[in-house]
Amino acid sequence: MSMGGGGMAAELALLAPEIAVLLTAVGALVFEMLRLPKVSLPFTVIGLLVAAALTVPLLGTETAVFGGTFRVDPLSQWAKLALLPTTALVTVLARTEVRDTDREGTVYSLLSFTALGALALAGAGDVMFLMLGVLLSSLGSFALVAYPRDDRATEAAMKFFVFGSVTGAVMTFGLTYWFGATGSTLLGEMERLEGAPLAAAFGLVAVVVGLGYKASLVPFHFWAPDAYDGAPVSVAAFLSVVPKVGAIFAIAQVVRDLPADTGWPPVVAALAALSMTYGNLAALVQENVVRLLAYSSIAQSGYFLLGVVAVGKSDLALPALVVFAAAYAAMNLGAFAIVALAGRTLGEFTGLGRGNPAAGAAMVVFLISLVGIPPLGGFVGKFLLFGAAMDAGLIWLAVVAILNSVLSLGVYLRIIVPMYRRPKGAAAPATLIGAVWTMALVATVGVGLAAQVLLGRLP
Amino acid sequence: MLPIVSITLFLPLLGAALLMAPKDASPRTAHAAGIITSGLTLTGAVWMWARGVADAGFSQVEEFAWIPSIGVAYRVGVDGISLPLVLMTAILFFVAFVFSARIGERARSYVALALLLETASIGTFVALDAILFYVFFEVSLVSMYFMIAGWGYEGRQRAALMFFLYTLLGSLPLLLAILGLYLGSDPNTFDMRELVADPPLSGLAATLALIAMLVTFFVKIPVFPLHTWLPAAHVEAPTAGSVILAGVMLKFGTYGLIRFALQMTPDAFEQLAVAVLAFGVFSALYGAFAALAQTDLKRLVAYTSVNHMGYVVVGVAVAAAATGAEVRALALDGAVLQMVSHGVVTGALFLLVGMIQDRAHTREMDEFGGLLKVAPALGWSFVLAAFASLGLPGLAHFPAEFQIFLGTLRVYPVAVVVVLGIAVTAGLYLKAIQSAFLGEVPERWREMKDLNARELLSAAPLLALTVLIGVAPFLALDVIHRTTQALLP
Repeated sequence: MSMGGGGMAAELALLAPEIAVLLTAVGALVFEMLRLPKVSLPFTVIGLLVAAALTVPLLGTETAVFGGTFRVDPLSQWAKLALLPTTALVTVLARTEVRDTDREGTVYSLLSFTALGALALAGAGDVMFLMLGVLLSSLGSFALVAYPRDDRATEAAMKFFVFGSVTGAVMTFGLTYWFGATGSTLLGEMERLEGAPLAAAFGLVAVVVGLGYKASLVPFHFWAPDAYDGAPVSVAAFLSVVPKVGAIFAIAQVVRDLPADTGWPPVVAALAALSMTYGNLAALVQENVVRLLAYSSIAQSGYFLLGVVAVGKSDLALPALVVFAAAYAAMNLGAFAIVALAGRTLGEFTGLGRGNPAAGAAMVVFLISLVGIPPLGGFVGKFLLFGAAMDAGLIWLAVVAILNSVLSLGVYLRIIVPMYRRPKGAAAPATLIGAVWTMALVATVGVGLAAQVLLGRLP
Repeated sequence: MLPIVSITLFLPLLGAALLMAPKDASPRTAHAAGIITSGLTLTGAVWMWARGVADAGFSQVEEFAWIPSIGVAYRVGVDGISLPLVLMTAILFFVAFVFSARIGERARSYVALALLLETASIGTFVALDAILFYVFFEVSLVSMYFMIAGWGYEGRQRAALMFFLYTLLGSLPLLLAILGLYLGSDPNTFDMRELVADPPLSGLAATLALIAMLVTFFVKIPVFPLHTWLPAAHVEAPTAGSVILAGVMLKFGTYGLIRFALQMTPDAFEQLAVAVLAFGVFSALYGAFAALAQTDLKRLVAYTSVNHMGYVVVGVAVAAAATGAEVRALALDGAVLQMVSHGVVTGALFLLVGMIQDRAHTREMDEFGGLLKVAPALGWSFVLAAFASLGLPGLAHFPAEFQIFLGTLRVYPVAVVVVLGIAVTAGLYLKAIQSAFLGEVPERWREMKDLNARELLSAAPLLALTVLIGVAPFLALDVIHRTTQALLP
C-alpha cells in the first residue's frame, strides 16, 4: 500500500467527497437550529449528490491517505457512488414520515453523519478507522431509530444500543491483540500476523463480531428485525443498506491483507451460509413486511460475503461486490419505499397491484430482483457473486447460495401473491414516495441492463 | 442487412410496451394489439425461415457489446435446430392470441404478459450468448407464473407457486454450469459459438457441469421423476397458457439438452449417454402409462407430453453415444422434428380441450359422449390431432418418432422397448375418443355449439401443419439436417 503522495492539500483533495458529506451534515444541523427545516432537506439532498459527483473524477485512483490509514480505492469510491444517492433518496423518504415534527432537520443531519460513518468503514485502511466507522455509524443509527419517541421505537433503540455497545467493546478488545502482535494498526501490515496464530484468531473474532453486527450477519443479527420494525420505514430502509454495505466493504478491506492461514476464508464462508439460510428461513414465517425485509436483508448480507470470501482469489470478487452493492441499494430501498406507501403488514398489501398498478409492478421488480431473476440488477450482482465464489474454489457455497435463492422466491412471493387479490381500497397517492421508488426502479433495472457502466470503470 | 432476428425478437416486447403506455385500453384494443403484434412477429419468423441457414455453424448472426468487461454480449442467430423452433413458436403464439380473444378480465395485462413471454421464448431459441439465453429462460418463467396465477382455474395460486419454485430450483444449476463453462474457457467468454466450437471443460468439471445442466433441462422437459410440476401447472393454466407451456416452453429443455449439454460437454455426455437414455425411455413409458390412467382430458394430454418429450431425450442420448455421423444425424433429425411436431400437435390438442371446457365447464371424458354428432368440426379436429399424437403415419409425429427409433435400433437395440409407448398412447386416445366422441349423446350436451370462427381460425393452422409435416417432413428436415450432419466434430 503506497503512502499518499503529495502534501496535506493533495490528500484533502482526495477526501473531497467525505468532506462534502461532513459539511452537509453540519449544514443540515445549522438550518435546523435556525428553525428552517424546509431548507434543511434540499440542502442535504444537494449536498449528498454533490459529494457523489465529487467522487466521479477520483474513479481509477488507487491510493491511501493519512499515512495509509484511509484508502481511496474502488471499494471506497463505489461505496460513495452507491450509498450517497441512496442516502439522498432516504432523506426524501424520511420527509414523508417526519415532516413538521419538532426536530425534522436533525434526522437529515443524522442520516448524513451515519452515511459518513459507513464511508469511513468502506475505505478503512487501519483498525482505528474501523472503530471510528462503527462508532460514527452506530451513534447516528441509535438516535434515528429512537426518533419517533414511542414505546416501540424506544425499546428498539435500546436493544440496538445494548447490542452495539457490547459488540463494539468486544471489537475494541480483540483488535488490541492485532496491535500487540504486529505493532501496527495499519491493515496493510497485518500480513505480519502470519507467525502469531492466537493473536490473529482473537483479532479476527473481534472484527467478525464488530462488523458482523453492523452488517447484521448471523449470529449477530438479533437487533435488526426489532430495530427496523420500531424505526420509521425510511430509517429501516437506510439501516438495511448504508451501514450494512459500509460494513461489508470494511470486511473486504480487512481480509484483503489478512493471510489466509489466519483461517478467515472458512469463517467468512460459514457466516455467509448461515446468514443466507437463517435469513431466508426466518423471513418465510413473518407476517410483518418490515420484519420480513429485515430477515431478507440478513440473507442478502450472506450473499455479499460470497464476494468477500473470494477477495484475493478471484478477479470477479471486486466487480461482484460493487455491482451487487449498487443493485442491492436500489432494490432494497425501492422495496422499503413501497412499504412506506402500502403499510407494514402483509394484509395491507392485498390488492396493491390492482389498486395502484405502477407501484405494484415496481414492487414485483424489486422483489424478483432480490431473488436474482434476470435481467435485473440483483441478477447481475448475484451471478457475479456466484462466479467469484466458484472461481475461488467454493462450489459448495455457490450451491448453498442457489438453494437459498429458491427459498427466497418463496419469501418474496408471500408479498407478491396478495398484491394481485381484490383490493380493499385505493391506495393514497404519494408523490414524494413515488419519486423515490421510481428512482430506485430505474437504478434496479439500470444496473441489470447497463452493468458495463460500472464494470467498465473497475480495474 | 436488416437485423431481422432482433426485429422478430423484440417486436412482441415493443407491442407490450405500446399497449401498456396509454392510461387505459379496452379488451378489444388489447386483443387486436396482441393479434397484430404476433402476426408481425410471425412474418418476421417466416422471413428468417426464407433466409435459411448455412451448412455449418450459425447464420443470421447479429451481435453488439453488452457487458464487455466479463465477455457478455448481445448475440443472436439461428441454425437448423433453432430456426424450426422459432417458426413454431411464432405460429403457436399467433394462434394462442387468436384463441384468447374472448378473455375480458384484465385483458390488457394478459396480452402484455403473453407478448413478454413471446419475446422470452423466441429469445431462448435465438440467443447465442449463455447469459442472454439464461435471461430469456428466466423471464419466460416469470411471465408464465403471472399468467397461471392471474388467469388460471381454481387451484391456480398453488399451481403457479409450485411451477415457479420448481423451475427456478431447476434453472439455477444451469447458471452454475454456465459459470463453470465461462471460468473454464480461455479467454473467458459467454459466447455460445466459442463454447460449442471448443468445449472448455474436461474430466470431472465437465461431468459436474453436465449433471447440473441435466437437472435444469430434465425439470423443464420434464423427465421422470422431475415432472411433477407439469400436470398441476397444466390443469390450472388458462388454455393459451397450456398451449405455450407445452408447445413452446418444454422445448427449452430439449433445445438446451442439445445446445448446452450435447454441444458444450460432448465427451461427458457420451459417457453418461446410457443413463440419459434410461431416463428418456423410462420417462416416455411412464408418461404413456400415467396418461392411460387419466380421465381428465387436459391431464391426459399433459401426460402424453411427458411421453413425447421422452422420445426426444432418447433421440439426443442416442446421438451422443453414436459413433457414426450418419446415425447421429438420423437420431438428432428425429429429435428436433419431434419437438416441432409435438409443439404443433399438442398445441392443437390443448386448444381443443380448452374449447370443450369453455362449453361444458368440465373435462372429465366420462361425462361426455357422441360429441362427433353434436359438434362435428370440434370432434373431427380432436380425432385428427389425437391420431397425430399417437403416431399415425402421414401425420406429424410419425416421421420424427420413426427416425428416433431407427437411430435407437442402430445404437442401443434394447432401448427400442420404448416403442411400447406408442401402443399405450394409441390405446388411451382410442379410449378417450370412444368415451367422449362416440356413442350416445347425453341430454345435457345436445345443445352444444360447434366451433365458431375464432376457434376454427386458431385450430385450423395447427391441424394443417400436422398434416403438412406428416406428408412432407422434408420441408423441415432439410433445414434441420444441414446442422445435424455436422453438429459434433
